[in-house]
Amino acid sequence: MNPNPFLTQNRRAFLQKTGFGFGSAAFASLMNQDAAATTDQPLAKLGLHHAPKAKRVIYIHLVGAPSHLDLFDFKPELQKRTGQLCPDEFFDLNQLAFIREQPNLLGTPKDERFAFKRCGKSGTEISNLLPNLQGVADEMCFIKTLHTEQFNHAPAQMFALTGFERFGRPSIGSWTSYGLGSENQNLPGFVVLITGQVLGAGNSAFGSGFLPTIHQGVEFRSKGDPVLFLSNPDGVSHGERRVVVDAVKDLNQVALDDVGDPEIATRINQYEMAYRMQTSVPELMDIKSEPKRIHEMYGTEPGQSSFANNCLLARRLVERGVRFVQLFDQGWDHHGGVFDNLPKKARQVDQPIAALIKDLRERGLLEDTLIVWNAEFGRTPMAQGTSGDGSTQSKAGRDHHKEAYSVWMAGGGTKPGHVFGETDELGYGIAKDPVHVHDFNATILHLLGIDHERLTFRYQGRQFRLTDVHGKVVKGVLA
Amino acid sequence: MALQAEEDAPDFNREIRPILAENCFHCHGPDEKSREGDLRLDTFKGATEGGEFADPVVPGKPDESELIARIHSKDPEELMPPPDSKRTLTKKEKKLLERWIASGAKYEEHWAWVSPVRASVPGNKPVDAFILRRLEKEGLEFSKPATSGNLLRRLSLDLIGLPPSPDDFERFSNGGDYEAEVDRLLASPRFGERWARHWLDLARYADSNGFQADQLRPSWAYRDWVINALNSNMPYDQFTIEQIAGDLLPKSDLRQKIATGFHRTVTCNVEAGVSPEGNRMNQVFDRVNTTATVWLGVTLECAQCHDHKFDPFTMKDYYSLFAYFNNTPIEVQPPSNKNDVSHDFVGPYLDLPLSPEQQRKADQLDEIIADLTREREKLNEGSELEFVAWQKSAMASLASHPKWQAMKVTAFQSSGGEEHRVLKDGSVLLAGKVPDTATYTVEVETKLKDITGFRLETLTHPDLPGKGPGRGDAVRPNFVLHEFRAALKTGGKERPIALQKAEADFSQKNWSVAGAIDGKAKTGWAISPQFGKPHQAIFELAEPIPNASGSKFVFQLVQNFGKGRVIGNVRISAISDPSGVGSLQPGIVAILKKSEGKRNAKQVEKLRSHFLNSDPKLVRLEAQLARLKKERSDLKVDQTLVMVELEKPRKTHILKRGNFLAPDVEVSPGTPTRLPKLENSSNRLDLAKWLVRRDNPLTARVAVNRWWAELFGNGIVATLEDFGTQSEPPTHPELLDWLAVELMESGWDMKHILKIIVMSQTYRQSSRLTPELLEKDPRNLLFARAPRFRMDAERLRDNALTISGLLSTKMHGKPIMPYQPNGLWRQTGRNEPKWVEQKDENRWRRGIYIVYRRAAPYPSMVNFDAPDRSSCTVQRPRTNTPIQALTMLNDPAYVEMALALADRILTESKAPNERVNYAFGLTLGRSATSREVKIIEELVRNRGEYYRENQNKLNVVLKSPKFFYKPRHENKIELATWFHVANALLNLDEVMTRN
Repeated sequence: MNPNPFLTQNRRAFLQKTGFGFGSAAFASLMNQDAAATTDQPLAKLGLHHAPKAKRVIYIHLVGAPSHLDLFDFKPELQKRTGQLCPDEFFDLNQLAFIREQPNLLGTPKDERFAFKRCGKSGTEISNLLPNLQGVADEMCFIKTLHTEQFNHAPAQMFALTGFERFGRPSIGSWTSYGLGSENQNLPGFVVLITGQVLGAGNSAFGSGFLPTIHQGVEFRSKGDPVLFLSNPDGVSHGERRVVVDAVKDLNQVALDDVGDPEIATRINQYEMAYRMQTSVPELMDIKSEPKRIHEMYGTEPGQSSFANNCLLARRLVERGVRFVQLFDQGWDHHGGVFDNLPKKARQVDQPIAALIKDLRERGLLEDTLIVWNAEFGRTPMAQGTSGDGSTQSKAGRDHHKEAYSVWMAGGGTKPGHVFGETDELGYGIAKDPVHVHDFNATILHLLGIDHERLTFRYQGRQFRLTDVHGKVVKGVLA
Repeated sequence: MALQAEEDAPDFNREIRPILAENCFHCHGPDEKSREGDLRLDTFKGATEGGEFADPVVPGKPDESELIARIHSKDPEELMPPPDSKRTLTKKEKKLLERWIASGAKYEEHWAWVSPVRASVPGNKPVDAFILRRLEKEGLEFSKPATSGNLLRRLSLDLIGLPPSPDDFERFSNGGDYEAEVDRLLASPRFGERWARHWLDLARYADSNGFQADQLRPSWAYRDWVINALNSNMPYDQFTIEQIAGDLLPKSDLRQKIATGFHRTVTCNVEAGVSPEGNRMNQVFDRVNTTATVWLGVTLECAQCHDHKFDPFTMKDYYSLFAYFNNTPIEVQPPSNKNDVSHDFVGPYLDLPLSPEQQRKADQLDEIIADLTREREKLNEGSELEFVAWQKSAMASLASHPKWQAMKVTAFQSSGGEEHRVLKDGSVLLAGKVPDTATYTVEVETKLKDITGFRLETLTHPDLPGKGPGRGDAVRPNFVLHEFRAALKTGGKERPIALQKAEADFSQKNWSVAGAIDGKAKTGWAISPQFGKPHQAIFELAEPIPNASGSKFVFQLVQNFGKGRVIGNVRISAISDPSGVGSLQPGIVAILKKSEGKRNAKQVEKLRSHFLNSDPKLVRLEAQLARLKKERSDLKVDQTLVMVELEKPRKTHILKRGNFLAPDVEVSPGTPTRLPKLENSSNRLDLAKWLVRRDNPLTARVAVNRWWAELFGNGIVATLEDFGTQSEPPTHPELLDWLAVELMESGWDMKHILKIIVMSQTYRQSSRLTPELLEKDPRNLLFARAPRFRMDAERLRDNALTISGLLSTKMHGKPIMPYQPNGLWRQTGRNEPKWVEQKDENRWRRGIYIVYRRAAPYPSMVNFDAPDRSSCTVQRPRTNTPIQALTMLNDPAYVEMALALADRILTESKAPNERVNYAFGLTLGRSATSREVKIIEELVRNRGEYYRENQNKLNVVLKSPKFFYKPRHENKIELATWFHVANALLNLDEVMTRN
């Protein structure tokens, strides 16, 4: 796996002193001195903490937070009581971002377009707004009771993705890259694809915090260079670039012979990898080569920037060994006109995500690829703005809701066609089986063969982990 | 090694205290309230005397110690820790406790809590003496001295962050004096710019708020303060006091206030829905944690939610420290406009004085404004007679009753394509789909002669949302009329009619009706918040229109605001009124209709101001004055964020689980109990002085250790950010303490300490790595060689700029925006800042001046491990990645530097065969080896051949639109050839490395 002769000789020192190439970052933490110190095991024998069910993750984050009540968590009682003033405790005890006066309850409209259907053998309820996902319900594993501690976008995004509501901690993709590395020498272990604007938490949502920077999410862009600075200077061809890279290599070799610093050997390798990326990344990003059937399935159009294209790219990335692909999609923050806006957004993601599940299944990749649908929080069962009257024309929206919301996973060792947890009859709180954000993150790591309590990094005199000092694996969602 | 360690006594602080803290202290620790069996295990006395137990710990005799018996007990009633605590000891931990008791059960104070003492040192070279003592113990020795070129380059990059010039190299290699070079560099203004980078990482300095919209905010005056303070070698104690509490110093001056920007660099969340107090609390947490990390080198953060597990810091310690920082005002508040998605930022600012250049401009403006004001007064006085005459004639004209006549609409068209209907009152009512923007074209006819004015009425109507007059929004039925144009239509031709004055019954703030006839696309007339009422605007013609034959007029109403801010019901009338009274607003007419004696003072004043405003000369003068005054006030806008102390201190409570909504007992300001006591303290200034008190064991050690790490890549204590019991022990404790004491006794003289270090033999060694050294000390903890490491992001860029000859040494001021790829600053939220690439000298200024936006820092910096500055960064990681290779090879900023470097080599080297050596001299301060010459010559041959055969490629390469630099060398083939060579040189490991 490792081309650098110095590594075999002194791997630990090397890891501490320098960065690592994409490929050589594998098992970085699990071979790290600190991890070893807490386990009493020799480094070499220390593989994953247990057998992994998932080898890679495609993590879809719906930025702004979709109205889970109108997509996945149908509440007939709420629908019935639409327009009634909400119970006092919904308003008095709750920290609400925007609602300032005691609001009315707002159920899903009694309109066929918004109706829920029991789908597949499992009978999982999914809204008609997501007809394609209805078709793959038997692959999905829902958690209806995820809850968080933050109710503003940026802090909640950081809390969901880094386990901490303020800046400075590594994101879940970075932890995964740190724990598992990349299977591909020429691609980063953690790739980010964004549609719409950058989310509020900015780069911190996929940053590496105090972990080595090699583990930060690298954004692949649909416009301009897919990876920043991938293109050669104007007027310089790939072949010409080889001449310069060769000269750099030869000159660096002179220095290596003279000074003997293994860091120079690493740099020589990184330049080779960079040169290879100049071919492999554009090849990866170019979806023209996909057959017509695939484009029809996903609804993709080469050359466009769309969520559908990103779903297809996600499959191409995991096929090539990227550990963690994160999709961010902006535009779900429906404080107003939720019944007008939600169907539009649902239409954008429904077909491509269902296609992704089917495509991975056909390729035999679904069983060890974990797909995650998440957001920073859910939305209130109470109306924001114009009092909801239940009509689809209503201008009402829903505010931020941290007490309970629905997310789902598919593949990667999760229980297919399963629903875990239950909210109360109005969809406000949890009736059964709460799952905290830390539990959710612990579960994702668990599926990857990592014990979230043992994937640690020593910083500022203590061991840090994704789940702070909390988190329990949700056994009920494991296949 | 491992076997030997088995026999040693365990290190109490590293190995034993954590076990006791984790498993025992909960019931047998310092907290009396929860103590069981009257036994405490956190002190030797408690552990050996026992409470209800005979012999919990018998030093030297594990077998007789109750503690050991209990941890091995099979009886769940006896076993410690008790099973219901869910804590268990591992075999290894039990073994450690046995060994500890066997070796005497010693309790030790952690070294870092004890004040440093200067150890005696042989000779007058303390650094080398301490280093050598350890090297000899390990059977090692110093490496050979570095070569002169290498050494000067290292020194220069370390002290000022820039490489030496060819002249510097030449002077030094010809017997230059090393110490003189050290002094020269320490005195350079570039010194502060280099060391500010290091400090600003600690200070988490950035130019934006962080979070959702991540707006820019001004703090750069603080950045400049740091640069200046470092350049002037401000003593580190003063440097500390001014940043923590400069505002509280007696008679504090402007600079001392700017210094407090240190703690205003924290992130600030303006996302609507954020609790203002929650945001403030987060900021105070950050201030406490950052202060602890930067000065004390301890991680207090843990004690935010619970007593520190390993270090002697309790929650009470934490919140006592918190109390010093708690007296700050709220920085955000809910938006004044309910529909806004961001809070308003209301944190304190300090106005900065004008720069000398600005001051000159201000003086000039003040003078002109004074002149014009006098002139206006004169005009006002002279016009009093005219005013009287005008009143008379106006009153007379009023009697003749000139009247507005609605003109008949003959055609109406809207660019929005909506429906319309002409009502009986002669107005046009719009209906159907509301267009985003629209331009109405209204054709009318009238028989009125000698037309002197037009009136535009925007009327309400029950069919309009919110009754109108706008169409776009029932709650805010506003409209924005950007332009109102009139034309006379004769024989199919349209002739524009000049409108000289516009007046409205009401204009929205900043949306005066004058904007509707100024020909400017962005100004216009709007009427918020006076919705649901009719409005009118009157336009005076520059010249009356005889209109003998009864012609047609065409009006255009341009409404480009968007969101349907268009007029719903509109009527246009004309008047013939040579004396102008018909154009008077109803209010003025009403006053004129009263007899002179019955007007009150306010009404007379209203008449006068109307009269004066209709004097074109005065109007022009007023406009000119307004423009100049705005220019003058724009000169004052520079501000900077500073700390401000509330007059009435807030109460501070311990917060349960760190949650500000769950206050526990109240605490007063105080420093951690394990550290030297601070008596009778009340505010940040007391705290600041305590931080740099001579008996504070941490501040000086933490500072010298960081400087050492900047020069050697590793600290003497490897964990720069943590000196607590979990830190790595110092490799050279006596050296650390010697430097710390020297710092304090030299009057906290930073440059003095740096000079001592760089003058040492340790610093001046070669960095060559032998197999023996790699084997014995791969991390270079013993300093038997000089370290070599890849430079940080800013130095990489500054180094390349210097080599290429592009570097601008312009200092200070607003952040700069050099080249960056398009589209990186897309972001949600209002007031979104834009990246405007600077195409002037500014793009080549030092990296320290590049705007730091937290959500999207400068990408090439990020790729080389620059943090996003959202929190305090003590040490940047140093990675080596393919992304970095791509950046150095292809980032157009670096590519432009390569072009400039090629140009420089070609224009400055004396002869073609000197070029390779000149290039190596420039970039590395040495000549090329024969192997290197061969490689470069091959590259030159290859590229030269290519461009001679492909001359059509020359301009593609040399004239890239991304270049701002204009090369001087005229031979394009050579220039393109050497462009590739320069590109290669800037990518050499040696160029990117400080060695």
